[in-house]
Amino acid sequence: MSIGIAPPAHVLEPDPAGPRPDIGLAGTRPSSLWSDAWRRLRRNRAAVAGAAFLAWVSFTAGFAPWLPGMQDPTAQNLALGAAPPSLAHWFGTDELGRDAFARVIYGGRISLLVGVVATLVSLLIGVTWGATAGYRGGRLDDFMMRVVDILYSLPYIFLVILLLVFFSRSIVMLFVALGLVQWLTMARIVRGQVLSLKQQTFVEAARALGADDARIIFRHIVPNTLGPVIVYTTLTVPAVILQEAFLSFLGLGVQPPAASWGTLVSDGARLLALFPWLVIFPGIALSLTLLCFNFLGDGLRDALDPQDRRDVA
Amino acid sequence: MVTFLVRRLLLMVPTLWAIATLAFFLVRGAPGGPFQSEKEIPASVKAQLMHKYGLDQPLHVQYLRFLSSAARLDFGPSYKFPSRQVREIIAEALPVSLELGGWALLLSIVVGVPIGIFAAVRQNTAGDFAAMGIALAGVSIPNFVLGPVLVLGFSLSLFLFPPALWEGPQSRVLPVVTLATAYVAYIARLTRAGMLEVLRQDFTRTARAKGLSENVVVFKHALKLGILPVVSYIGPAAARVMMGSIVVETIFSVPGMGRYLVNAAFNRDYTLVLGEVLFYAALLMALNLLVDVAYTWLDPRVELA
Amino acid sequence: MTRAHRAPRRRIQLSLALLLALVAGCAPASPPAARTAASEARYFGDVTPPADDVLRFNLGAEPEIYDPSFAAGQPDGRVCRILFEGLTREDPQTLAPRPGQAYRWEVSPDGLTYTFHLRPGIRWSDGTPVTADDFRWSWLRVLKPENAARYSGLLAPIRNAVAYNQREIPDSNAVGIVARDDSTLIVTLGEPTAYFLYLTQFYTYLPVPRQAIARHGDRWTRPGNIVSNGAFTLRQWRQNNRFEFAKNPRYWDAAHVRLAGMVAYPIDDLNTSTNLYKAGVIDWNPSGYVPSQFIPYMRDYRDFRHGSYQGVYYYSINVTRPPLDNVWVRRALNLAVDRDAIANDLLKGSREPWGNMTPTGYPGYEHPPGYRYDPAKARECLAKAGYPDGRGFRKISILFNTSEDHRRIAEAIQAMWKNTLHIQVELTNQEWGSFMGAVTGLQYDVARRSWIGDYLDPNTFLSCWITGDGNNRSGWSSRRYDGLIRAAAREVDPARRFGILREAEALLLEDGPTLPVYHYSTNELVKPYVRGIYQTALDIHPLTYVWIDRDWRSREAAHGPAAAAGPERERVAGGPAGEAGAADRSR
Repeated sequence: MSIGIAPPAHVLEPDPAGPRPDIGLAGTRPSSLWSDAWRRLRRNRAAVAGAAFLAWVSFTAGFAPWLPGMQDPTAQNLALGAAPPSLAHWFGTDELGRDAFARVIYGGRISLLVGVVATLVSLLIGVTWGATAGYRGGRLDDFMMRVVDILYSLPYIFLVILLLVFFSRSIVMLFVALGLVQWLTMARIVRGQVLSLKQQTFVEAARALGADDARIIFRHIVPNTLGPVIVYTTLTVPAVILQEAFLSFLGLGVQPPAASWGTLVSDGARLLALFPWLVIFPGIALSLTLLCFNFLGDGLRDALDPQDRRDVA
Repeated sequence: MVTFLVRRLLLMVPTLWAIATLAFFLVRGAPGGPFQSEKEIPASVKAQLMHKYGLDQPLHVQYLRFLSSAARLDFGPSYKFPSRQVREIIAEALPVSLELGGWALLLSIVVGVPIGIFAAVRQNTAGDFAAMGIALAGVSIPNFVLGPVLVLGFSLSLFLFPPALWEGPQSRVLPVVTLATAYVAYIARLTRAGMLEVLRQDFTRTARAKGLSENVVVFKHALKLGILPVVSYIGPAAARVMMGSIVVETIFSVPGMGRYLVNAAFNRDYTLVLGEVLFYAALLMALNLLVDVAYTWLDPRVELA
Repeated sequence: MTRAHRAPRRRIQLSLALLLALVAGCAPASPPAARTAASEARYFGDVTPPADDVLRFNLGAEPEIYDPSFAAGQPDGRVCRILFEGLTREDPQTLAPRPGQAYRWEVSPDGLTYTFHLRPGIRWSDGTPVTADDFRWSWLRVLKPENAARYSGLLAPIRNAVAYNQREIPDSNAVGIVARDDSTLIVTLGEPTAYFLYLTQFYTYLPVPRQAIARHGDRWTRPGNIVSNGAFTLRQWRQNNRFEFAKNPRYWDAAHVRLAGMVAYPIDDLNTSTNLYKAGVIDWNPSGYVPSQFIPYMRDYRDFRHGSYQGVYYYSINVTRPPLDNVWVRRALNLAVDRDAIANDLLKGSREPWGNMTPTGYPGYEHPPGYRYDPAKARECLAKAGYPDGRGFRKISILFNTSEDHRRIAEAIQAMWKNTLHIQVELTNQEWGSFMGAVTGLQYDVARRSWIGDYLDPNTFLSCWITGDGNNRSGWSSRRYDGLIRAAAREVDPARRFGILREAEALLLEDGPTLPVYHYSTNELVKPYVRGIYQTALDIHPLTYVWIDRDWRSREAAHGPAAAAGPERERVAGGPAGEAGAADRSR
């Protein structure tokens, strides 16, 4: 269920009101932009709270095995079965008698891992593709963006199912499959940015100095696109996590005994009437994390360009 | 305008061709055949079945046959349901998905746009954040949790609506609400952002300076432009929504396209998968075209490329 | 602080508050039933009978094709049985063959010739008479090589049927089916087959209307084109949506058919189906459509029925892949599985733990001793195989098709093997298509399988393990086993035959590639006002004489819930009560 849609091309084209303020020599960052942004971000309480929560979640997920009171998430207790929350099991147990609290914490590990890595994959491909297309322009640009359009027209689920079925069901495949869907929008955004930056003086200056295309793209242009890229990345992670949850609903997500929040939530939802704790706790964890990513992303967007006309859903 | 339309329509053809080719080879490349069951089919029988569907031909022959019949909108019989043509399956499932998607989109616009306007007009107040909070909640709660929750509450406890199936007007309510929830969030957000941008502009200030009431300013002048991001979003969103949300269709047993597509991929129902993919692509492109046209109508500053 | 700065915190608070409110609303509205010994009858959900005499139920998955000659899975079979009737039909309770389109028959003393006499005056729903030639033509249609019918193998007992189907004999007249006149059909078998009459009820043996096929070709099964000889006709069919049946006025026993029609919905989601039953939208939720997690709570409800089902859930071990080719390894794997824990704890008693490869329900057949949980012996076997304490044993994988239940069981067994044998196990799940491809292609280590009986005889569970059988799919081959199965097929004396089959099963368990896990059971929900649906061992339910009882409450008050459940009409006795029924489920 992918809802991230890019606006049509002409919205992403060079801003008629003028390029973004970027005064400085080629390759150097004007110190005012980032510290300005940072200050604005700090003032946005929601974003700060979101970031703090995410930091805490990441810490918990990262150090999960060494946290005090952590039980083995794979230890089964068939006789106990699904039991409601108690002192021994803070979040209760699932049908195999496994501690639900441990499952939620470890689930966070997997969900965050999937979210971040898949997003990085899409980032890598998208930035490279979009920057190259935007910078080179002309026929190459046309061709590359047409490829993007074509891929955009394929129903996402079909692509992912075939990928997961054609190759293996491993977690690496999951990263690739999810990343392959998200890079399209990223490419479009980056391309739009690059188009507007291409005309600027510092690029001409770099070229005059003899820098080749690749150097110009990666050393000069890409860093200037960072703003929207960062925002979009922050907003992509929750989308990916949600998509993985959806795949788990179909049985294509991470394989047992590993379980992501998506697996926990989609399994628990089926048993809602009988064992509500199996969906409530992972559901809260998932929803809160997604919310915080969204808050953070919105905050970053406001901070990095309060006049930003382009709204990326 | 006419040249624009013609050009776009012509451009659709090579795109569709590329998609068809990509889909064709992807589907053929996946392992497993379309005829599987726990009870083994004797090899001779399987050979006969393969011959009947032309699967024993070399790949390029199959590909050419596929292209020529696809051009005539004939995708052959479904493999999983051999007594039915893909065309018929799509023809029966499509109206259902359209209805489900249409209602959901309508609901999400009817709920989302006002929320967005409200939030934009009351930016940075409690109202803004309450509205956006509701919207965000819609995006953070997956469909397959919301659906069962709604069913538990309104169907099995209150007996207001049937828990599933697509019979009668009451059965539309829960699936549509479940499907709409996520889209409400995006639409609200986009409306808010669009409205905010427009409200900051010079011409808005001019309108206000002229003494027009806030309502007129907002609804008569600002809305038309503020809604642009929503319009551009609706095109592809409509295509996705109408192609069926697999989750909603599964939970509520709605006989729509989304369920068919996923099951077809699982069943290696080659013909049905290809038919649906092409259909989806064509629909998406048509909707994008509509969106671009609508854009010019709403924003006179934009010229069609 | 300005308003703008306070606001973000409020935003968080509000969002959280909303989220919590939503979550709090997730509390279950109907807690599971507590165990009571109350005499008060309790039913699951709404018990208001429908206003019309229409039975609504869940058909299961969408049928692939309900042309009887080509029908495949269980949903197909259900539709076929509603629309068409064969020479014999199943008794609704015992599934024994009862007169159907044929009102009597004779069997020659050598068991090779069956003479069926059709009822006078039977007609198709379009008025055309049903003749013996219709049966002949229909069966030959199944066998015709060009038609590639998937279940042509079921007609194998008929003489020359297989030869004709495999194109060894070009002339269809050589097949042992003769219509002596319009109402007499003579069938000659190649070998005496004890369960042949059960086969004649199976949907592959149902007649098809020649006249409709001639006129409409492949589209003859559409409503409007279709012609049936059973108790109902097909009035409407909307894909993935509903099947609507109407009473067939031309059915020979229409006078005793009390339903005006039926509506069948193809719902494959268990939760959805059960919810629909609870809300009263459907009146019957067949076996397999109640989620296993619910079953312990269902036992308190009067409308829940639990019984034995002839099927075995097992794991198949690929003997072409070392170290699984070592028989001691296979024995170790078998002994290390605690079936009681799986069936009673994990599956909450909804299934029976089972260590044999044939199910119960065969009077006179004595099962050989099956596997029991014995961790010490398991470790011994593994050591004897050369892997003491699991050392040197490579990681193996359990393959299963995507499903909640399969996954939970696989996870449990994975943990059992790890804890008892100290071996590493991973899990792989694939959707049905890839899964079947992998199993058939022997691309697995251990795979989850199941087998449901086609007919009421242990042979249906044992014959698939002979060398090279299409359903073997494990690479296992044993000359001795093949010999035993063949000997049993030729044996005429029933007691001796069972003895041979028992020996075969013992060999299969000891040396074979199987790991039985549980015995299937039926778990279904039937509303108290529905009469005429009974729990059966093969989960087959003839629906001809079902009726809606609007006075069910008073009847129950007077006689108690078990009474008034029998059929309302006297059944015509006739035909030997042999074995075998027929069912098929390909998942």
